[in-house]
Amino acid sequence: MTANIDRRSLLGGAAAGAAAVGLGTGAKAKAVLAPGVRKRDFAGAVAAMRKVVGDEWVFADPEAVSPWKKSYTPDPYAKHVPVGAVCPENVEQVQAIVKIANQFRQPIWPISTGKNMGYGQATTAAPGQMVLDLKRMNRILSVDTELCTALVEPGVTYRQLKDYLVENNIPLWIDVPTVGPIASPVGNTLDRGVGYTPYGEHFMVQCGMEVVLADGEILRTGMGSTKNPSAWQAFKWGYGPYLDGLFTQSNFGVVTKMGMWLMPQPPVYKPFVVRHKKMEDVARIVEAMRPLRIANIVPNVVLMMGAAYQLAMFKRRGEVWDQPTPITDEAVAKAAHDNNLGMWNTYIALYGTEGMIAESEKIVRAAFAAIDGEVLTQEDVGDNPWFHHHATLMQGGLNLDEIGLARWRGAKEGGGGGGLAWFAPVAPAKGSETQGQVELAKQILGKHGFDYTAAFAIGSRELHHIIALLYDKSDPAEEKRADDCYRELVTGFGERGWASYRTGVHAMDLVAEQFGTVNRAFNAKLKHALDPNHILAPGKSGIL
Amino acid sequence: MKRAVLLAAGLALAGTAQAAQKLGEYQAQRSPEQVYASVCGYCHGKNVGPVIRGRALPAEAVEYIVRHGQNAMPAFRPTEVTPAELKALAAWVQQSSADPKEKGQ
Repeated sequence: MTANIDRRSLLGGAAAGAAAVGLGTGAKAKAVLAPGVRKRDFAGAVAAMRKVVGDEWVFADPEAVSPWKKSYTPDPYAKHVPVGAVCPENVEQVQAIVKIANQFRQPIWPISTGKNMGYGQATTAAPGQMVLDLKRMNRILSVDTELCTALVEPGVTYRQLKDYLVENNIPLWIDVPTVGPIASPVGNTLDRGVGYTPYGEHFMVQCGMEVVLADGEILRTGMGSTKNPSAWQAFKWGYGPYLDGLFTQSNFGVVTKMGMWLMPQPPVYKPFVVRHKKMEDVARIVEAMRPLRIANIVPNVVLMMGAAYQLAMFKRRGEVWDQPTPITDEAVAKAAHDNNLGMWNTYIALYGTEGMIAESEKIVRAAFAAIDGEVLTQEDVGDNPWFHHHATLMQGGLNLDEIGLARWRGAKEGGGGGGLAWFAPVAPAKGSETQGQVELAKQILGKHGFDYTAAFAIGSRELHHIIALLYDKSDPAEEKRADDCYRELVTGFGERGWASYRTGVHAMDLVAEQFGTVNRAFNAKLKHALDPNHILAPGKSGIL
Repeated sequence: MKRAVLLAAGLALAGTAQAAQKLGEYQAQRSPEQVYASVCGYCHGKNVGPVIRGRALPAEAVEYIVRHGQNAMPAFRPTEVTPAELKALAAWVQQSSADPKEKGQ
């Protein structure tokens, strides 16, 4: 290990205060002001914000802003570099900051914990924005052990919430995305992220919001604005148009509180992996999974992990493939075999009493026996690290194993790695939708020299294709290729009607294009009505 | 219910007791051990990033890398790991002993 880190001169260079260029820190990127914002406007906004939150919580010189600039996503033209950061600790400060932003026309980019890994972290969709960093707002406001609900601020991490439940012996689970310890329920839900327990569709189990609007007013959604808001976390819909969706994947307000439902810990939890040996097996896996998910016999969000994706979590590329060309299926199959992995590894779990699980297990085993799937339990796989990872996630457990993906490429060859961009198109959950996608992805990735490291997920009736575009961000030419590749993935899949459910700051406009002009114009009208000065996160989800 | 409560207690993450955060209160300053267990230690020592304990890494370097990130390592902002927490953490990492249970790469 020592040799490894010394070889890359990581620590020594940094300690000496060496130029950051080439160290993969993101500090090299230069920020510019937003269109129409003059230096004196920016200075005025910064000075006014300092009076609200204190000098120590406003960051405006390039070095001080460095922690907000680091990102895995490609940005070859430095278009996504924030110009500053302001860090309130309560809603009144958020209101004051929004008013200042309007006064000086200084755009602000709200983040919760800023750990949207592979989607841009704390960086911005368009240049010149100040990050409105809500991480200091980290209070858990309520946990109702009877209704199994919580109300949290944006800066609360999944780890904080889990610690609170464990320390207080509250038998409720959380549901986490793959980077749970450092990410937040609010941020992940607002980006319509997912986890892997039966509560995996996070926006489905969200209930009630407090939102600071662009004019500084506070809106409470659902039952939260009634004279007795005791049902705020119990009933999602309130009355009239359902508003919460307007504040997800959007820039129509700043969410400062969010309610969520928590799953009671089941008496028994039993995770499984189903292994298949051939790439083309994915079609029949999807066919077998769909009815199990729709009938809720398998109640959790299911992942079908390709072997290359699994290998990339814990292996460096050079350990399994020594060519610059994309890794072949044959090489993946060999490495998969050597590591007790299938070409597809489908992770599911059952929850309930022993009797309930025994009945469901019979159905699941029969469904997979019919398609040559090898159904394995904890006892069968022993200390397999991939099984451990997924068995942790499917009970709302915390780990950061997936950060290893950002080291697949480059780290072994003397480069830095650190490049990861998720491409996640959606299709109906039908086997016929798989093969064409796999072929198209391999063709586009291969053209740009990248590996097909991917998984599929079934929430309910939809199929997410989750492609990890892994590249060496310390190599500017490779970063440019990754950017080109991602854009071609968006347009190439878009032409076939496979559009993304979510994307990073580097491609929000392009993904929005895939949803058509009427959709875009509608969002633009809402934006102009709600935020006439366009100071809230212009560019988020392609909405200016 | 009693069994379920016991099960939940059993889920407590080994050796990582946090300063209890109470409802409606902000998270209090955490000790270096707590920051390491709830942030750094998920990668360093867990087969994701390199081992950093027991190597006398200079505190100044630790502080720089935490704030700037390094290749696959994300940056951590002063809102996530406060300036006071980082100062104590960096000194703790420099002086720490190796943990034979940790695995790095």
